[in-house]
Amino acid sequence: MNLAWQMVRHRFAGFAGTFLAVALGVAVVAGATTLYLSSQPETPARYAGSAVLVESPESGEYELGRPHHRPWPAAEATALAGRLAEVPGVTAAVPDPSFYVQRVVDGRATGDPEQSRYAGHAWSSAVLGGYRLSAGTAPAAEGEVALAGAAPGTVVEVLTVAGPARWTVTGTVDGPGFYVADAAALRRSAGVPVIGLVVDGEPEAVAAAARAVVGADGTVLTGDDRDRLEPGEVTRTRWLGAQLLIAMVAIGGFVAIFVVSSTTALSTAQRRREIALLRAVGATPGQVHRLMYAETLVVAVAGSAVGVLLGAAVAPLLAQPMIDSGLQPSIFTVSVQPVALAGTFALGIVVALLGVWSVARRAGRTPALDALREAEVSKRAMSPLRWVAGLLAAAGGVALLVFLPNLAIQSQATVGMGAAMLLLTAGALLAPVVIVPLVRVVTWPWRRGATGMVVREGTLTGVRRVASTAAPVLLTVGFAMLLTGTVATITEVEGAEELAKIPAITVATADGTPGLSEAAVAAQRGESQLPTWVHVNHGGTVTGYDAVGRSDAPGLVLWPDTAAEIGAAAGGTVSLRWPDGTLGTLPVAAVDADAPAPVVVPRDLARRHDPAALTTAVMLDGPPRPAPGLRTMSARDYVQLDIDREERIIDIFLIMLIGLGVGYTGLAVANTLLMATAARRSEFRALRLAGAGTGQVLRVSSAEALLAVGVGTALGAAVAIISLTGVREAVEAELGIAVPLVVPWGASAAVVGICAAVALLATAVPVLRRR
Amino acid sequence: MTITTTAPAIELRAVRRVYGTGERAVTALDAVDLRIPSASFTAVMGPSGSGKSTLLHCAAGLDRATGGEVIIDGVSLDGLTERALTKLRRARVGFVFQAFNLVPALTAAQNVALPLRLAGRRPEPGEVTAMLGEVGLADRAGHRPSELSGGQQQRVAIARALVTRPAVLFADEPTGALDAASGREVLRLLRTAVDRHAQTVVMVTHDPFAAAHADRVLFLADGRVVDSLAGPAGAQEIAMRTAALEEGVRAGDVAEARR
Ligand SMILES: Nc1ncnc2c1ncn2[C@@H]1O[C@H](COP(=O)(O)OP(=O)(O)OP(=O)(O)O)[C@@H](O)[C@H]1O
Ligand SMILES: [Mg+2]
Repeated sequence: MNLAWQMVRHRFAGFAGTFLAVALGVAVVAGATTLYLSSQPETPARYAGSAVLVESPESGEYELGRPHHRPWPAAEATALAGRLAEVPGVTAAVPDPSFYVQRVVDGRATGDPEQSRYAGHAWSSAVLGGYRLSAGTAPAAEGEVALAGAAPGTVVEVLTVAGPARWTVTGTVDGPGFYVADAAALRRSAGVPVIGLVVDGEPEAVAAAARAVVGADGTVLTGDDRDRLEPGEVTRTRWLGAQLLIAMVAIGGFVAIFVVSSTTALSTAQRRREIALLRAVGATPGQVHRLMYAETLVVAVAGSAVGVLLGAAVAPLLAQPMIDSGLQPSIFTVSVQPVALAGTFALGIVVALLGVWSVARRAGRTPALDALREAEVSKRAMSPLRWVAGLLAAAGGVALLVFLPNLAIQSQATVGMGAAMLLLTAGALLAPVVIVPLVRVVTWPWRRGATGMVVREGTLTGVRRVASTAAPVLLTVGFAMLLTGTVATITEVEGAEELAKIPAITVATADGTPGLSEAAVAAQRGESQLPTWVHVNHGGTVTGYDAVGRSDAPGLVLWPDTAAEIGAAAGGTVSLRWPDGTLGTLPVAAVDADAPAPVVVPRDLARRHDPAALTTAVMLDGPPRPAPGLRTMSARDYVQLDIDREERIIDIFLIMLIGLGVGYTGLAVANTLLMATAARRSEFRALRLAGAGTGQVLRVSSAEALLAVGVGTALGAAVAIISLTGVREAVEAELGIAVPLVVPWGASAAVVGICAAVALLATAVPVLRRR
Repeated sequence: MTITTTAPAIELRAVRRVYGTGERAVTALDAVDLRIPSASFTAVMGPSGSGKSTLLHCAAGLDRATGGEVIIDGVSLDGLTERALTKLRRARVGFVFQAFNLVPALTAAQNVALPLRLAGRRPEPGEVTAMLGEVGLADRAGHRPSELSGGQQQRVAIARALVTRPAVLFADEPTGALDAASGREVLRLLRTAVDRHAQTVVMVTHDPFAAAHADRVLFLADGRVVDSLAGPAGAQEIAMRTAALEEGVRAGDVAEARR
């Protein structure tokens, strides 16, 4: 409708709030979804020359939504590759084992520790990436290597699972990685996860033929399906980043809905007379309704468009910080995601229309006579719909919190956040109920002064206005307290728990490497654990378990619930599959709840069947012996290291999410107060005519702003404390220990202070400008 | 009172309007019976709080009577839905308030065209300009209300009220906020509407000179029609009647206070 366009153009100030809220919300969601969709698995560069890849069979176990694989034992892989080589169109079929190797320069291990776990390859696999020798010859014997950046004949120092070694460079390769003789590579790796095919025929046809050869013994992948072969490390990093992005979308989306609906409500309340006039001139309720939707549509289309562009522009700037924080792999690049942008654009419009939905109904029912009423006195701050919605949201939030301890630990965070969002919504909807008594109490001491009286009556008659301005404060304070409080509560528990059981000993641990080599461990006196994993097939289901190898393990030692799950008991036997793909049967020596891992196996067996395993730490019994890639520290520091690493990630999450939430809602505080104050020009003019100086007017408007901040803070704090109590109950139920409730007073006070400052500024500007 | 043979434009039968309930109930209109003939100019006068505005709102369908029946141009408002009432108002009633008549976002021409557009009708070319011309504002079509004087705004409001050629035009103190010259201009417009376009006009006013433009003057007190003067009456006579009425009210107040 043309009328809508006119309205928006004329009253842009009134719609600016909605516009801004939509634009920012859409920008956040568009940016986050762009980053999310940009971070999809990619075929590793080292398979660029292999159009058809065969992956080892799935084990039946899943982690982070991706299936685990059971690598082929070396002999099996070689045999299968031999049969695949016969397939017409295949020029080469290459088993591709990977193993840990790191170059040592000046006694220090170099390169990214996690990536070095897969840095070593068989020479014949170089062809899969299209890598060639630029000088020298291929490695053929043990102790020979081809790599980039070293001339043939050089001797390089490296660190392997066995320990330090000196390798002779036979050739220079034009691709990354360490290439050794095929037999040497097979010996060093735990089975073969992939066989790569170099083909000269049509890949799909070759793949079909290969499938017939492989059967159930693996999965043949072509084209984009090969993306699945991205190293697990990279995928885990992407997953971590995705968690942050999903949280950003959730919070950004929620805040957008919240702020959009509260600014729409405010701007509609401010236009009551105008709407009534339209009604008096002959607009039916339906026409008013449609006008409101049309106006919002105009604003939302503009806001969404700006938001989408903003999001798309900012997303690439975030790529490098995310890589640096370990939330995206180093190969991450941002690409334009039309689906994300189009989807978010539509979402922005839908959110804005949802925001206007309830106010439009109300506005449609505006009596025409209201056009004649000078004062904008909203008689009923609480409509029945508002009561019902508010109470339902409150009940839903509390119900979720009560159920929290019964839920699986992974879904607790999500559900807890959902509960908090419901409670925040309830707080905003029910705010008018609290405002009246609160204002009465707070203004009691000043009831005789002119300022006190005006503020008191002003807020009591404009309850909805105060509620609208309090809403963003409520959200800001609630979010900040909740997020910091949850994390503080959980880390305090974790830290206390872990630090409590550390003995006062010295620990030898990795230094710039992913773990300790055999040689480094052997040189030390003390107990160590070799982390590995096993697959156990029990009654048809395959479950993967974290396992450790210990030299003092007489056979298998299981946790009670692990034993129960696989149906084993002390004295019985368990059949399992090792990381190298071979099968074994072991006697169960004991079932022990204090075992260091769900499954404990004899160390020598773990060593033999997982040639890639690296020891994490040695609890020293005697003086440490220096070795490359090893350093010593107190056990307490060692645990702290782990906690710090985790906290660093959590801190990044917190800073991002609080920054996002508080930044957005802070803007909304300023925005609603600017709107509210600007619209009260005539009221302030009347005050001035009645003899009030600028200072007095300022005092009245500031007092009202502070009241709104106070109401928002009180409600936000109430919601946060209720939710935190729920989280605490859940953690207590999970851990079975008493957990203190950590309320982040400092952070909360800071956020409230910022809100108050923003609010004062936002009210003072329109008042002072009207002089 | 002259007996008209044509159907009345507005008819009120025992209309009551009570604000509030219980202790605080105020009877603003008390069993008002009234017939406003077509193509007549009626002025409503009375002391402040006597129910003039309420009468106008009820008669115009802006407000619903608590009891009795209102018939606009032969259609009873009883039992009409909000939507139907709005449509009836749009088609048959024009309204000019004392102030705040125009939508600030729209130009004078757009404001005038508003009732037509709301009725889903595209204004014919020249229709709006002609209407603005009639109120002497053809050259101000593109101005927004904030760029017009109070009198000009009021004239735009009259143009808007008349553009649909409604059965009745109601005006509540249309000259209340205007200087004498602007006020006269507005009254002349209303008079022209009656004389030249056979429009029916009902106007509330405190000003005897304004009331003198009407064919008939109704006097309201305490929610009842207590007197009427068939016009055209002189301003002096109207002023005298008003004074008498206010005297009576004051006397009544004193009597009430004594009791
Ligand atoms: N919304 C309302 N709620 C309660 N009482 C009302 C309301 N509107 C009017 N009244 C009361 O009804 C009575 C008639 O009011 P009305 O506005 O019709 O008077 P009026 O004759 O137009 O007065 P004025 O000349 O001052 O405009 C008054 O006593 C008034 O206090
Ligand atoms: Mg009145």
